[in-house]
Amino acid sequence: MQNRERRENAVLASPLVLFLVAILGFPVILSVIYGFSETSFTTLTSPKFNGLDNFRRVLADQDFWQAVSFSLRFGVICAVAQCVLGLFLAVYLAPLIRRHGWMVAILIIPMIVAPAMMGLMYRLVLHEFAGPIPYYMYALFGWSPSFLNAQNVFTTVVVAETLQWTPFAFLLFLTAYQSIPQDLREAAAVDGTRPWRMFRKIELPLMAPTLFVALFIRFIDGFRVFDNIYTLVGAGPGGATTSMSIYIYEAFLRQGDIGRALAAAILLFGSAFLLLALAQLFMRRAT
Amino acid sequence: MTTRHLLGSAALIAFLAGTASAEVTVLGWPGGPEETALRAVADLYNARPDVAEENKVDLLFTSRDGFFDKLQVDLAAGSTAFDVNLIATYSIGRYAPFMEPITLSDEAGAVFGDTVLSTMQFGGQQYGVPTDLSLHFLYYRKDLIDALMADDAAKAKYADIAEQYLGERLEPKDPAEWTWQDFAANALYFSQSVNPDSPTRYGTVIQMKNLLFNMMVFHSWPRSYGANWMDDAGNITVDSPAYRTALEMAKMLYDAGATPPDSTSYEYAEANAAFTSGQVAAMIQWNAAAAELTAAQPATSTFAPPSGPDGRFTHIHGLGLGLNAAAENKDGAIAFLQWLSTSEAALAYARAGGAPGLASETVAALAAERPDLVQVGEYASTYGFVMNGGTSENALSVYEAQAKEFTGYWAGTQDLDTTMANITATMTDLLK
Repeated sequence: MQNRERRENAVLASPLVLFLVAILGFPVILSVIYGFSETSFTTLTSPKFNGLDNFRRVLADQDFWQAVSFSLRFGVICAVAQCVLGLFLAVYLAPLIRRHGWMVAILIIPMIVAPAMMGLMYRLVLHEFAGPIPYYMYALFGWSPSFLNAQNVFTTVVVAETLQWTPFAFLLFLTAYQSIPQDLREAAAVDGTRPWRMFRKIELPLMAPTLFVALFIRFIDGFRVFDNIYTLVGAGPGGATTSMSIYIYEAFLRQGDIGRALAAAILLFGSAFLLLALAQLFMRRAT
Repeated sequence: MTTRHLLGSAALIAFLAGTASAEVTVLGWPGGPEETALRAVADLYNARPDVAEENKVDLLFTSRDGFFDKLQVDLAAGSTAFDVNLIATYSIGRYAPFMEPITLSDEAGAVFGDTVLSTMQFGGQQYGVPTDLSLHFLYYRKDLIDALMADDAAKAKYADIAEQYLGERLEPKDPAEWTWQDFAANALYFSQSVNPDSPTRYGTVIQMKNLLFNMMVFHSWPRSYGANWMDDAGNITVDSPAYRTALEMAKMLYDAGATPPDSTSYEYAEANAAFTSGQVAAMIQWNAAAAELTAAQPATSTFAPPSGPDGRFTHIHGLGLGLNAAAENKDGAIAFLQWLSTSEAALAYARAGGAPGLASETVAALAAERPDLVQVGEYASTYGFVMNGGTSENALSVYEAQAKEFTGYWAGTQDLDTTMANITATMTDLLK
């Protein structure tokens, strides 16, 4: 009986598995082949195996390490900023949202905008001669900061990313905060626990797993950032805003160096996989 | 009944397939005046009595986004979806392995001139018919320059500023006589960071974003000081006093606040927005911006970019149409391309809104209808240049690499020696 059920499950799952193999498997296999070959657009059908040469070139490339550094800094800073802000908003606004649930819809509006559109929007909004922010700063103070020069561009893209994705963290924390049993709070209050202590000793520990998941998701999203930065400032002056994804895109399509691009993509995939495994291990131990 | 239906369907499919493969399919540049003009000449060609039914032209357009990348993949895959395809000066080398050289009509030399024809050449062979030409103008506010030249106190201040920043006292001049030193002096004078009394916030706007097209706008500057990508022996010559001078001058203007501080994120649209706001006195920009800039600032005049010790130059590149090596109807495609290089086709293309670079004798017939083409044709034939290696397989990658290195220097993230060492190494690898 069990065998029959297992066979039926396998049969029912097979279309999905075949679909995934066709859609994901083929490009992955091709990427691995090209990653270990000398390939350009002129030799797509006849890649020449060159062992680890592409990986050696990537690892010796100063631009690659600059992109890794940018992605790590961007991912960590954005994840922390979004989670801190999201947590604050969730806790601070929770009583208000309990009475006016529709406010959540307004707060998550930035998440609905496509990241590429967000980049284009900031490109317009921050433009010295066409954007409203510099316009009003000149009108009020006779001066406006340079938002996109080499010194400020990192801060600008971090702020733009944080403004767009804080609502995601907020939503997670709000759900976690609202799911804490009310009895616990009432019991603590009866015992004379003050709000700040209640937050630190009761609510925050109960929200810790959600906090960890949010940090992890936001870090991964920040680390692989591409569209909003690319549409806002491109690779940046001297490659100052080149993330890992932008590095791979430029190597592949702009420089036609397919082997190097895919070697970098494999390294990115490998490191993300390792990170995911470590995160799972950490979570398992924590719970 | 069923058999008759089947036979009928088979005959219809065979007819359609036969028709489709016999036509000349042309993959053109979608949207804008190029598409309108190509449609007009295709109609004209198809109406000719000597064009056989199986050689009539059918047009194919895709999105502009990633057009050249998609075209490269199509050509490399041996696509037969088109017989004739678009090419651009800076990407001919990439496509050449999948295309065939062509022979133009006998009158092509007289219609376009040698400089414009060279924008469609690679390895000494002609790969396309030039259809649209892009080059650069110096756009300047004539009202501001006239006021400056009529004011002795302003002239004295201009000379003081020139001496302070450029090491020599310069007099304001008519922009038609400008050298790059004059361009820089003018940019400094009309910048409020240098001259608080300036009527404009910035004297110029330089497009310094890490973007390959910005390097095309920039490189008329080093060229006028004698720069080239490589010499005749194939040695990379980018690390030259000419490139260093132009790069240093641009950085000096950026550091002095003569171009907006966000210039390192500016490309075509941002630069145009700055100029049309009325807060910029002069700029180098593509000829395609003429209508937009002069409409917003009616006192705007144009001339060729300033001159240097080696003369006056403007980068030129063209769009054109060439022959796909995998074309199914090669004879028909060649016949169309040869006709496209005649004066009849070139004039029809221009009248329909295209921007071909035409020799002075040819463009004279259009002087009343398209005065802008007269200036484009004159500047292209007199000042136009293509860097040695500018049509090679990796020309686009060279521009990409320059964009990264030069913008890094301008933004202050690396010094000039590092910049020149990096770009020399990269270009040596790309152009070997």
